Amino acid sequence: MAEAIVTPLTQALAEGKLTRDELKSFMLRSNMPALRRLLIWIALLAATTYLITLTKGLWLVWPAMFIHGVILVHHFSLQHECVHYTVFRTRWLNDLVGNICGFIIMLPNRHFRYEHCDHHTYTQLRGHDPELVPMPKSWAGYLFYLTAIPYWKTKFNELFRHVKGQLSEEEIRFIPKSEHRTIFWEARIMAGGYLAVILAMVVTGWWGLVWYWFLPLILSEPVMRFIRMTEHVGRPQVKQMSDNTRTNLVSLPWRFLCWNMNYHAEHHYVSSVPFHALPRLHKKLKDHIYINKSGYMGAHVDIMRQLSTKTEPAFAKNKS
Amino acid sequence: MIKPNVKEWQDVIPAAELEQKWVTRVQIGRRLLAIYDTPTGVYASLALCNHGGADLTDGYFDGHVIECPLHQGAFDVRDGKAVCSPAIRQMQTFDTRVVGGIVQVLI
Repeated sequence: MAEAIVTPLTQALAEGKLTRDELKSFMLRSNMPALRRLLIWIALLAATTYLITLTKGLWLVWPAMFIHGVILVHHFSLQHECVHYTVFRTRWLNDLVGNICGFIIMLPNRHFRYEHCDHHTYTQLRGHDPELVPMPKSWAGYLFYLTAIPYWKTKFNELFRHVKGQLSEEEIRFIPKSEHRTIFWEARIMAGGYLAVILAMVVTGWWGLVWYWFLPLILSEPVMRFIRMTEHVGRPQVKQMSDNTRTNLVSLPWRFLCWNMNYHAEHHYVSSVPFHALPRLHKKLKDHIYINKSGYMGAHVDIMRQLSTKTEPAFAKNKS
Repeated sequence: MIKPNVKEWQDVIPAAELEQKWVTRVQIGRRLLAIYDTPTGVYASLALCNHGGADLTDGYFDGHVIECPLHQGAFDVRDGKAVCSPAIRQMQTFDTRVVGGIVQVLI
């Protein structure tokens, strides 16, 4: 028989921060909100793709690719929702869309799911949280992380390791043995897909995907690194969800792009709540979590302040 | 004398008190059970997820699938089969019936 554990959710229910009826209403799933949002998403992608086409041969193609890339890197947010099975009520749609997003940003979906599970179990606990982004020790470290070079290095190493049928010690801890082969074949299929795309470009002589996909992704990944840092970096490395995670209040376009994942502390409290209900959950939990009201930039000001003064992060009661 | 390990039908909750089309938590002795009201009848399982130990009765329930609130691993409540990772082992289910308006579990 499994040992009972205390999750942030059980704690929130026990402490009356949330009633069971509220929880049920927040968790309800539907396909429609995501399908509506996906239509706008695809329209935006089409518009930025056209922008690249219009500016080809001009220096303006670089800002056009950057804007397109900002949407591309946000496929991470959609994939993240999909690995929680909260985007669509129809479960297989989450797998399908999650895998498509993963192919776009080179993040194998199944592997990410296992890694992300441990992130939720051990949020911000050094040595246990496989997604922990450590607080940079220096300005150089801070800026280097934001180039996304260390990120891509990790991701390429991961992919090659899995293609070769190997796992790191950390991965062996969070991926059950019965799933090892699935992880290896997932990586092989993904690598095969990229090889097929490159081969097709060589054969046809049409290198458009470099301009519409690869370059925008590399150009804009620093934006996603910038955003991902705002979730936990600079927060205390403690078990308490009210302290170890930062909710960032950001403007509508950013909320749209990140599928409301700026409500990050709320998401960690109840990860079964779909993106469209997170603003309502925020209203319910806002007095019990750490909130940064100054957007993504505000979170970085907090990180930079800690970096320059070498001070400890503020706890939830001192929220900004 | 050691009591033989014989299963018996035990009353657990009046059917009218079940959360409609959802999951209800009940305690029977030391056991915490999850009772599911589904389109094809009432089912029961242990309440704690066999992956991470979270309380399944705080999870999302839809049709015949209960989803763990911590990692969204999922089980089919009819036979306990794991239908979504990171849940990979079958969860323990119990035969269930409704007699005279009372949900009974063979335990």
